Amino acid sequence: MLSLPLLKQSIKSNSVMWGSMTGVMTLLCVQFSSLDMTRSLLFTIFYGMMTTILPGIYVLVTANKLLASQVDRGSMAYVLSTPTKRSSVTFTQAFYLVNSLVAMFGIQTLAHLLVNRVKPLALGELAYSSLAGELTSKMILQVNLSALMVCIALAAVCFMFSGVFNSTKYSIGMSGAFIGVSILANMLAMFGNLGVEGLKNFKYLTLCSFYDYQSVLAGSTDWISKLIFPAAIALAAFAAGRLVFARKDLPL
Amino acid sequence: MINVNELTHDYGHGRGVFEVSFDVDKGETLGFLGPNGAGKSTTMRHLMGFSKPQSGSATIDGLDCTRQSSEIMKRVGYLPGEVALPDGLTGAGFLKMMNELRGGGIDRRAQELLERFKLDPSGSVKRMSIGEKRKLAVAAAFMGDPEILLLDEPTSGLDPIMQEEFISLIKEEKQRGRTVLLSSHIFAEVEALCDRIAIIKDGRLVSTVDAAEIRHGLNNIITVGFENEKDFAEFGNGSFDFRLRDRSSLKCSVVVDDSDINRFIKAIKRFAIRSFEEHSVTLEEYFMHFYKSNKTFGGVSYA
Repeated sequence: MLSLPLLKQSIKSNSVMWGSMTGVMTLLCVQFSSLDMTRSLLFTIFYGMMTTILPGIYVLVTANKLLASQVDRGSMAYVLSTPTKRSSVTFTQAFYLVNSLVAMFGIQTLAHLLVNRVKPLALGELAYSSLAGELTSKMILQVNLSALMVCIALAAVCFMFSGVFNSTKYSIGMSGAFIGVSILANMLAMFGNLGVEGLKNFKYLTLCSFYDYQSVLAGSTDWISKLIFPAAIALAAFAAGRLVFARKDLPL
Repeated sequence: MINVNELTHDYGHGRGVFEVSFDVDKGETLGFLGPNGAGKSTTMRHLMGFSKPQSGSATIDGLDCTRQSSEIMKRVGYLPGEVALPDGLTGAGFLKMMNELRGGGIDRRAQELLERFKLDPSGSVKRMSIGEKRKLAVAAAFMGDPEILLLDEPTSGLDPIMQEEFISLIKEEKQRGRTVLLSSHIFAEVEALCDRIAIIKDGRLVSTVDAAEIRHGLNNIITVGFENEKDFAEFGNGSFDFRLRDRSSLKCSVVVDDSDINRFIKAIKRFAIRSFEEHSVTLEEYFMHFYKSNKTFGGVSYA
C-alpha cells in the first residue's frame, strides 16, 4: 500500500515548505509563550489563529502538489508507468500529508513544553479569561491534539480537491476558497466569542470550530467529543479523493 | 501482445480516438504515425491505463489496460511524450526513485544508457534542458529491461546525433525480441525502425500497412508522351490504371505494379514515343498525402 520511494520523493520535494512553516510556527510559539509582552495573548493569537493559519497555508500548497499539480504537469506519468497502483499513490501522499502535520505539531508542541517547563504560565495572566491555575503539559498536549485534528480535516478536504481536479488552477482555487473561508470565519467567530455578538454565528462556517482550546483550559471534556467530527470529515474526504483519483481519466 | 480493439474515446470538438483497432505481435515494431493532435498520445494513454475507453478495449498480454494496469507495468517500459519530471530531485535521484518504484535491484542498464547518451545525471532536474530530461526519461523507460516498450514521440528534443543513437538503440532492442509501439510524427524514425505502420488522422486509423510492402509498391507512376494522337488514343484505351490522359500534350500517366511491368513494356513497344519518365514516390510523400487528405496516392489507395 505505502510506496516508500514515492514517500521519499514527497518528503524531498516538500521539505522547504514544510521546514519553513514548522520553523515559523515553532518560533512564534516560543515567542508568544516566553516573552512577557505577548504571553497574555498566547491563546487568543497563537493558539487561536496561528495554529490554523500556518498549517492551513501549508496544506493548501502541499495537497495540490501531491496530486493535482503532478497530473497537471505530467510528471505523474512517470510514477504510474511503474507497477505502482493509483490507490497506492493516494495512500502514500495522504500518509505523507497527515504525518507531516503530525511532525509539524510535534515539533511545535515539544518547543512549547520546554518553554512552559522553564517559565510556567499562570492561566490568570491570559487576556479575556477568568481562569485560575497553571498551564500544564497535559493541557498543551490536548490543545495541540485538538488543533492537529482540525488541520488534518482541512488537509483532507484540500487533498480531496487535489484528487478530483486534473488542473492546478481548480485544485488550488477550490482549496484556497475553502481554507480562506475556514480561517476567516474562524477569526470572525473569535471576535464573536470575545463579545461582538453579531459575529458569533460565523463559527458555523468553519471546521476550526471543532478545535476548542477553551474547553481544555477550563478543564472540561468538550474538546474530546469535538474530535469526532473533524476525524469523520477527514476520513470521508480522504476516501472521496482517493476514490475519484483511482477511477478518473488522467490527462497524462 | 498489444491489442487495441474498436477503441473509442470522444473528448468533444472532434478530438479523441474513434474505433481505433490494431495489434502489435510479439517481437514486432509498430509505428504509430500521424500529425499533431491526431490521437497518438490518446491511444498511448489508454494503453497505459491513464484513461478508460468509452467503448472498445485495450489489452496488453491479455490483461485489461484499465483494470490491470499495475500488473501490466511490470512488463512495460514507457516513455511519456511530456518531459515534466518529478520535482525536487537530481537526475540520479530521479533514476533511483524510478528504479525503486519498479521494484529495485541494481540497474546497470540505466547506467549504460546514460553513458551511451553522454549524460551526467548529478545536476538538479529543474536546471536540465529538454534534451537532457528526455535522456533521463529514456533511461527510466529502459530500466529493468522490459519486454514491451511504449514510446511516445521518443526523439523529440534530442539532437540529430542523439536521435541516431536512439534509433540504433531501438534496433538493438528489436533484435533482442522486444515488442515496440512507437508513436511519432517524424517520418524518418518510423521508416528506419518499424515493421508495420499505422497511420492515424483526426482520431481514426486511416490504414495499417506493412512498411516493406509500401516501399515495394511505390515508385511506379510512369508518364509516357506519344508522337501522335493515334498512338495516344490507342494506348489510352488500353487496360491500364490511368492517372492522367492529357490530349493536348499527348501524355498518359499510368500506375504500374511491379507484377504488371512486362505487360506494360510490351504494350508501349508498338507505339512511337516521345518521352518516358518514371516518377518515384517517396514514403514521405506518401504519408504527406495521408496527412493532407486520405484518398489515393502513388497508386496505393486506402479507404
